[in-house]
Amino acid sequence: MGKLTPSMRSMVVTTLQNPVPPPPKYPKYQSPSTTTTQVPNQQEPKSKNNKRPHNSKKPTRNKTLTPSPQPKPIFHTPSLSNAKKTFDQIISTSQIPLDLRHYNSLLKSFSQISNIHDSFSFLQYMTKKNRPNFTPDHSTYNILLTQSCKIPPNHSQDHSDLSVIRKTLDLMVENQVPPDHVAVDLAVRTLCSVSREEDAIQMIKEMGVKYSEPDMFTFNFMVRHLCKTRSLNYVYEFIDEMKEELSLQPDLVTYTILIENVCNGKNFREATRLLSVLADAGFKPDCFLYNTIMKGYCMLDRGSEVIGVYKQMKEEEVEPDLVTYNTMIYGLSKVGRVDEARQFLVVMTEMGHFPDTVTYTSLMNGMCRKGDALGAMALLSRMEENGCSPNSCTYNTLLHGLCKSNLLEDGLQLYGVMKSAGMQLEASSYATFVRALCRDDRIAEAYQVFDYAVESKSLTDVAAYSALESTLKWAKKFKEQRQAG
Amino acid sequence: MLPQVVKKGITDKPKKLANLIDLANLPSTLIDFVGQSQISRLGCFMHVWSYIKANNLLDPNNKNVVNCDEKLRRILLGKPQVELVELPTLIKLHFPKEPK
Repeated sequence: MGKLTPSMRSMVVTTLQNPVPPPPKYPKYQSPSTTTTQVPNQQEPKSKNNKRPHNSKKPTRNKTLTPSPQPKPIFHTPSLSNAKKTFDQIISTSQIPLDLRHYNSLLKSFSQISNIHDSFSFLQYMTKKNRPNFTPDHSTYNILLTQSCKIPPNHSQDHSDLSVIRKTLDLMVENQVPPDHVAVDLAVRTLCSVSREEDAIQMIKEMGVKYSEPDMFTFNFMVRHLCKTRSLNYVYEFIDEMKEELSLQPDLVTYTILIENVCNGKNFREATRLLSVLADAGFKPDCFLYNTIMKGYCMLDRGSEVIGVYKQMKEEEVEPDLVTYNTMIYGLSKVGRVDEARQFLVVMTEMGHFPDTVTYTSLMNGMCRKGDALGAMALLSRMEENGCSPNSCTYNTLLHGLCKSNLLEDGLQLYGVMKSAGMQLEASSYATFVRALCRDDRIAEAYQVFDYAVESKSLTDVAAYSALESTLKWAKKFKEQRQAG
Repeated sequence: MLPQVVKKGITDKPKKLANLIDLANLPSTLIDFVGQSQISRLGCFMHVWSYIKANNLLDPNNKNVVNCDEKLRRILLGKPQVELVELPTLIKLHFPKEPK
């Protein structure tokens, strides 16, 4: 290998060390129920990090497309003639015969800096020169396909939108590697990544008719992407079109995406309708969908309904998981049915699920809402005994609760712990705390809390100051009234 | 959900926010104190509050009261003592509402 150029050598080494199979991997969609443990039905009360459940299901296909990290770029300029020269040099100096992976890597590297037409020519050049050794396959053309889809929307206006993609597809057919479902998926994902949703839909239809139908992963990806970027009607239109033109039926995952989406939009009627559609279509909800439904009820401030969902799960013999229990406890706490929420803490333990920080925090939130801040504090010590460590959300909930219940001293103590741990204050607990301090005529301490909120970057200066200012205004009036009366 | 609420709170009252963070031309007394010719109401408050902290002007017997020094007295209506409660109100006096 002594004669290889350094960049090429490193490339060969990396490729040989991690033999990444060139065809992009089929996205492994984890089945919903297996992912639910990390899924955010575990929303913490007032938490800012409510991730959407489906995030964790995002397939990682695109990752396999990015090249393995290479120490040095092989091509330094997007010029075609220079690339050809570099290629000739590699061929003439390499002592081992290059295989498909090497050619693909070269093409990929070049495609990252060149324009699509040069990539076509470069591939042609490589093929011509090494006819017997190198026959481009799916993986090779997929590189070009990705590149042709990547052209951002405004650039593509001058030359007709999809012509380049069509050209790549034609090239694939010419060379006896007709586009398959992987190609469809790649095209769709790449187009969506540059916000060309209309083109993506157009491609799904075209490729579906001509070459290969999209699989459910592609279809559901598209639905989820449209849910995020377009109106609900647009999504339904897309689903109907797919039914009519490609006879593609939505599956359980599709319905889960839709239900979650409408729940996030607080559209209760639509969620109910979707549930009945789902039942009519003969699908049985799984644990993940039940969790989504529960979460939906919580978001729509109908926490009591979770009991009904739970009963239904039992009837259908779907085993509830940690997220189910957490969501139930959260929902019940939110509507003030704390005692029942507490019972579920027992139930879940019996079922072999360990209550986690989210569970306890939800329950504390409920207790604080009921005015039982001391009970919540007791729960804090019990939680620590059980080896579950509280987080900043837990402390904020407690601080809020203590201040609301006029237990300022305990609040101050808790605040001390938070401060020494460098925890951030949430807007609501900050405001309540400042108010409680001012009510007790401890203005200087309120100023200190303001300083801490600004220092720890818990709130913006504006938000922190606005709360302080309005509280002080109120405190002044309050004081004057007290003096007068 | 919380960030939405916060965001809403700010965007709901654009005037209130502007009133707080827009730079305003200062009267000469305040220019001497802050050392700039323009500052926002929020910036001014921060400046005064950090001045109080830096010079230990809080009354040791009653932390809710500021003992004004020469410089501070000049911008806070000449009062020898100011309560912390009224500090924002006093500072607001330097930032009159703009005539329509």
